[in-house]
Amino acid sequence: MILTIAGHTFREVIRKKILHVLIGLGIIIIVVSPFIPTTDEPDARIKMMLVVFFQVVVLLCIVGVIILSATSLPHEIEDRTIYGILSKPVSRLKIVVGKIAGFALVSALLLTILGLLNIVAIQRFSSRLPEGYGGILKARNEFTASRFSIQGKSHHVREGIAWIEGGRTGIALWSFSDLYKKLADKSSLEVEFNVKTDSSRIDIDAIPLVVGIEDAGAGQCKTSILSAKIDEPLTIKIDREIVKKNNAINITVFPIHSMDYIGVTGEDAKLYSVQKGFLSNYIKAIGVTFLKFLLIVSIAVMGSAYLSAPVSIVSALVIFLCGHILDVVKDFSLIIQRYDVHEHALPAALKKPTILLVYIDYLIRKPLEWVSVTLPDFKRFDSLKFLLKGINIPLETVGVSFGYTAIYAAVCLFIASVIFKKREFL
Amino acid sequence: MDNSAVRTEGLTKVYKDFWRRKSVSALINLNISIERGEIFGLLGPNGSGKTTTVKLLLGLLFPTSGKSWLLGHSSNDLKVKSKIGFLPEESYLYKFLNAEEILDFYGKLFDIPKTERKLRIDKLIHDVGLNSYRKRPLSQYSKGMLRRIGLAQAIINDPELVILDEPTSGLDPIASREIKDLILDFKSQGKTVILCSHLLADVQNICDRIAILNKGVLQVMGNVRELLSQKDVIEFVVKNLSDNDIQEVETFIKSRSGNVLSISHPASTLEELFVNIIQQGK
Repeated sequence: MILTIAGHTFREVIRKKILHVLIGLGIIIIVVSPFIPTTDEPDARIKMMLVVFFQVVVLLCIVGVIILSATSLPHEIEDRTIYGILSKPVSRLKIVVGKIAGFALVSALLLTILGLLNIVAIQRFSSRLPEGYGGILKARNEFTASRFSIQGKSHHVREGIAWIEGGRTGIALWSFSDLYKKLADKSSLEVEFNVKTDSSRIDIDAIPLVVGIEDAGAGQCKTSILSAKIDEPLTIKIDREIVKKNNAINITVFPIHSMDYIGVTGEDAKLYSVQKGFLSNYIKAIGVTFLKFLLIVSIAVMGSAYLSAPVSIVSALVIFLCGHILDVVKDFSLIIQRYDVHEHALPAALKKPTILLVYIDYLIRKPLEWVSVTLPDFKRFDSLKFLLKGINIPLETVGVSFGYTAIYAAVCLFIASVIFKKREFL
Repeated sequence: MDNSAVRTEGLTKVYKDFWRRKSVSALINLNISIERGEIFGLLGPNGSGKTTTVKLLLGLLFPTSGKSWLLGHSSNDLKVKSKIGFLPEESYLYKFLNAEEILDFYGKLFDIPKTERKLRIDKLIHDVGLNSYRKRPLSQYSKGMLRRIGLAQAIINDPELVILDEPTSGLDPIASREIKDLILDFKSQGKTVILCSHLLADVQNICDRIAILNKGVLQVMGNVRELLSQKDVIEFVVKNLSDNDIQEVETFIKSRSGNVLSISHPASTLEELFVNIIQQGK
């Protein structure tokens, strides 16, 4: 029964012009995306194609699917075609589930057609990359440090970030253990630093760092000096042999110059095993995006069980938008109250909140907390960040996204069925 | 065991506004019982409560008070709907589908197996005279064609109880006659039919019993013939009588204190005339 209603919903939607327009627009955008001006990096064009697909085409499709799913039930009620279904032995719960399933099918169709076109275009451009160039087409597995410490002393600690002054007064040390068991045979290794940098020197855009890779078993250390640009990650390749001999490696970093600072946490140095696997990673990203569609469809159908078509569209769009800025919503109160960011960054005038802001903060803190807890967190479905960094999307991330969607959709379904069950059709 | 096809007890529906204040009493304390196998006419002017009654029976509305039973089961029971066919007041159908697709969809909702579904669809499309238009989208159908396909969907499940709301509205006299014949055919198959109609002549011709509603209140219910018969008036229908004989009969009746109201040649109805002419043309 659910499949019948899902199939019917799917058939209705694929005959609508809005879907044809959506697919047409998506195809045009994908075809045009390789010609958007980019930087000179070899993989910049592919990055642009990914960004355009996941941030423009997917957004366009989501808005289209919201419009379709939020209006389906209200149109059935308005046109009274719902009489034909409700007079048959079909429970109202099944009607709602069937509608959601139907729009899930529509979403899958959209993502399959447009995703396939996008990957074909990406593969075509990737063949033009220089021989042996990994760049974005990697699928790196991420390892976080098992231990983090500061040898010597840090200059100061603020908000959990230890700031180390240059000149060997302190050294940041990350230890990675049990690597041999976790690494794939053909993978290579690299470490990526995302340390914060600061300097008392004027007009500099990079600071020199001493980076040491130590074989923890043999105690041998290979040291190199690298230039860290402000706010840019730093990547170093590691000899794979070091892990064959040992299960653990230590990585040390400190600034050379005494007027330079680095701010470090345990998360700032990550080890990656690098291998090919962009395609499977891309498929996982599409899968996670599909879960995002499923979640917004559940919310839109839930709203449409009670609201009229226009109100239902607007509410689903508002929820979708707010679901992307939950951090802002959650931290809005903090943003008003706190200005204790690093002292090098903001002028002193901003550190004193006005009394009006304090009152606003007092009034909105609790409601905002509730709103941020209730609203769905759509940012957790952001798989583009993995693709752009060439990081393999962990299966746990996919699993957690699936679980989150399942729970949220189940709650929406429950609310929708309760509302729809009590609804009368005049 | 309840042998009636439809039974209501104190069925009442009061529409309330957004603030839950009472606004309109659409149906007040309706008590009816419709026997299995009969054709029952539900009559009344606009806003009398006919459609509200049908919607309450089908679970599209919930009663403010009272209860109703269909084929011996509570009308809330989902399973009983598999034995019911419903044709709404207007053809509320999916216009993007064609005749085959829409019947297939409704057939699936009744869980009818695929092969049987196909057979029934072919037969129904043929019976309602839409064989040549079976692949055409419903958006291109005329009102009469929509009514026919609406009727076909109402009986796709071979129902025991058929609820027809204005089944002949929008149909030409020939199609209207065919629908009426179909309703009589339902009766011969032992099906129960509830017929809501404004066309009183139709109801009079085919219904066994009727109920008349006005402002949500049941005014009268009973056998059509009994309700319409005038006990103090007698009608003879005689063939081949000469004018002299007519004079003699009239004189005889007057001699027995009878009051002759009219002597005339009975006329056939306009519908009969129309149907005869069209059929002769065929």
